[in-house]
Amino acid sequence: MIDRRSLLTGAALAAGLPRFAIAQADQRPAITIAVQKISNSNTLEPLREQSNVGERVLITSLWEGMLGRDYGRELQTIPVLATETRRISDRVVELKLRQGVRFHNGDELTAEDVAFSFGNDRMFGPGGPNSSATIRVGEANPGRAGKELPIEVPAVANRSFPGFERIEVVDKYTVRWVNRTPDVTLEGRMTRSSAEIGSRRGFAEAATWLDWARKPITTGPYKVAEFRADHSLTLVAHDEYWGGRPPLRQLRFVEVPEVASRVNGLLSGEYHFACDIPPDQIAGIERNRAFEVQGGTIPNHRLTVFDKHHPLLADARIRRAFTHAIDRQAIVDSLWAGRTTIPRGLQWEFYGDMYQADWNVPRYDLAEARRLLREAGYKGDPIPYRLLNNYYTNQTATAQILVEMWRAAGLNVQIEMKENWSQILERTPTRAVRDWSNSGLYSDPVSSLVNQHGPNGQQQQVGEYANAEFNALSVQLETSTDRAKRRAMFRRMLEIAEREDPAYTVLHRNATFTAKRREIRWKAAPAFAMDFRANNWGA
Amino acid sequence: MLRFLGFRLLRAAVTIVMVVTFAFVVLRLSGDPAQIIMGADAPPEAVAAFRRAWGLEEPLWVQYLRYFGAILGGDLGRSMRDGREAIALVGERIPATLALTVPALLIKLGIGIPAGITAALHRNSLLDRAVMMLAVAGFTVPSFVLGLLLVLVFAVQLGWLPSGGQESWKHAILPIVTMGIGGAAVLARFTRSAMLEVLGQPYIRTASAKGVPWRAVIWGHALPNAAIPTVTIVGFMVGSLIAGAVVVESVFSWPGVGRLLVVAVANRDLAVVQCILLLVAATMVTANLAVDLLYGALDPRLRTQPRGA
Repeated sequence: MIDRRSLLTGAALAAGLPRFAIAQADQRPAITIAVQKISNSNTLEPLREQSNVGERVLITSLWEGMLGRDYGRELQTIPVLATETRRISDRVVELKLRQGVRFHNGDELTAEDVAFSFGNDRMFGPGGPNSSATIRVGEANPGRAGKELPIEVPAVANRSFPGFERIEVVDKYTVRWVNRTPDVTLEGRMTRSSAEIGSRRGFAEAATWLDWARKPITTGPYKVAEFRADHSLTLVAHDEYWGGRPPLRQLRFVEVPEVASRVNGLLSGEYHFACDIPPDQIAGIERNRAFEVQGGTIPNHRLTVFDKHHPLLADARIRRAFTHAIDRQAIVDSLWAGRTTIPRGLQWEFYGDMYQADWNVPRYDLAEARRLLREAGYKGDPIPYRLLNNYYTNQTATAQILVEMWRAAGLNVQIEMKENWSQILERTPTRAVRDWSNSGLYSDPVSSLVNQHGPNGQQQQVGEYANAEFNALSVQLETSTDRAKRRAMFRRMLEIAEREDPAYTVLHRNATFTAKRREIRWKAAPAFAMDFRANNWGA
Repeated sequence: MLRFLGFRLLRAAVTIVMVVTFAFVVLRLSGDPAQIIMGADAPPEAVAAFRRAWGLEEPLWVQYLRYFGAILGGDLGRSMRDGREAIALVGERIPATLALTVPALLIKLGIGIPAGITAALHRNSLLDRAVMMLAVAGFTVPSFVLGLLLVLVFAVQLGWLPSGGQESWKHAILPIVTMGIGGAAVLARFTRSAMLEVLGQPYIRTASAKGVPWRAVIWGHALPNAAIPTVTIVGFMVGSLIAGAVVVESVFSWPGVGRLLVVAVANRDLAVVQCILLLVAATMVTANLAVDLLYGALDPRLRTQPRGA
């Protein structure tokens, strides 16, 4: 347990004392963070752990990419392990690596480590990029016993970097990313989860892939001391960190599945942070002046998704009626205590010049919804709504409110509770409406609208949606390098997917809340990632 | 006796096969592990690759035959989450669970049985009513409520004990007490009922009338006869040692078999769930077998007329 004095002392030490102080007794604080889940996959390898909860422990503390996102601000792209990027052509980017960066094993980061990180050994498997070869677990591939990659890793890599060809090592500190196809989003893709850099020697020395994935050798400010799957992850300071000595001696994440237990542990002083706090608990925690709840919106929007092949939803007017019958602000005010916002459609401000500042979600207009239903000749037949029990925060309550809002417009929507995603996505005649959320993985609309709703996105792959014009634009948006044209194409895609032939409708931004002792001077990022670097501790 | 044992063993084997088969079918029909393990946002290619890799595209009966064949060969499969052998994963968690369930069982026995006997011997007295009131409270309060209540008092308010985790012996106290209280209450109720029934029997009256000291009547006649229903309940408790702490392990963030089961079911990590169920079924069946044998020791009539034979 730490008190206010040790916290402030630790921060002062981290910021002010010269390096020789490291050899003396380490006065920096050690903190404990209670989370609902540490890692869904029980690994710490971003290529396998593609989840929000994983982002919290993996990004900023452990793994770093050549480019990254500014977690202290609005998630803009910033240089991390690279110091500069230069476009050689529409399919080649040259990156200068930061010199003097040390891995957790003491090695210096070089171009060879970058080549390894995007190589077949760690990322694509023996087939190389874009290989579709399948190896069965239990036959040629004995699970994760050796260095064979889990079957899903190459699939995630190919999905993350669809046109990747190779990394060219120019010199010790210079690499070139070579794509097979022109791609204006390459720099953005380098900021996404999966593009982090690991140590080539670290991987070679790990006995198995699982050993590597549970104790990866990276460049982050903290290194893995112990990982107990489904229980705890202990990180300790990597004092050779290129960004300055980490302010904490130890970071310990513990898995506490129950909200009440996380809050109790925080109140009793065992945990310094309690994550994944539901909005309805915020007021109760903050009633005690010693604690506060931080956090807010993350780059993830909650959606209602339509299956346009359902007989009643084939008519776009009915789906449009759905979108106009939602009072989104009422949901935000009643279920989120006003602590999230309604975005301008499926996009984020960090898209930069691609961001459509004058776009908006369909307005709340019951009269318009009723008119559309009348025109479509809807007779009140039941429309199924497949629902998971609070997979998303406030999911069930939101669904109940939505059903009543839709009923007010004349839509007869029936909730069907399901247990898991497989049941939600099951392709049967009763699939019509469901929940989802989409993330902005990097600073381009390809990361969301194309990735999730385009021809290769989940919604079309499971057979819920297709639109010829939208699909043609998806392909062009991925390959075109003319930014003005791309901006116009993105606008048109939003018009199709959110207005004319709705694939989904955006409800609100998702948010995550973290409770902590008020005296701890730390600021939550606008993301799941928790930043415990020097510039965000005791400042 | 051998015939009796043989029949019981055969019945135990059939029970285990049924449990495993039922779990296999239900788990596979209620969701695609690939989609669940890979998550809602997983790329379709990754989900498809996962499905192919683990043979989930094959017909159910093919998967079942392959699974059953592997079990007979001693292979309980691998976790789909991290590729490790299911038996190793489960084996790692068993000591943590036993660290809670064994002391909790001792508390149940140490408090529940004496309390039940005391209440029966003081029937309708203030002591009886007090013990039974506590027993009713003990087994009607759900363990997650009791657990949170204990945390609020002893961790949050008094600060005497940790609220969760597994770092020291102190962390085990509240979960053990939570489980112990509920079980002790159940045992107290059963023991009291059994004792009252026995105390009303003619042979107790006869023994008393013959001048046998009351203490000897209780120890020599009442307790052995009252033990049969109590032993049945204790048998169930012993049988649930492996996976009987699911709720408490979740409330106290205790990384035992119960937590593993919850996570594995939620993820449809088939091999792990089936491995746990297999172990639970085996433990339960073994405990029942032991109980059946104890019946014979407690009541000589059952040695010549084995129940269910």
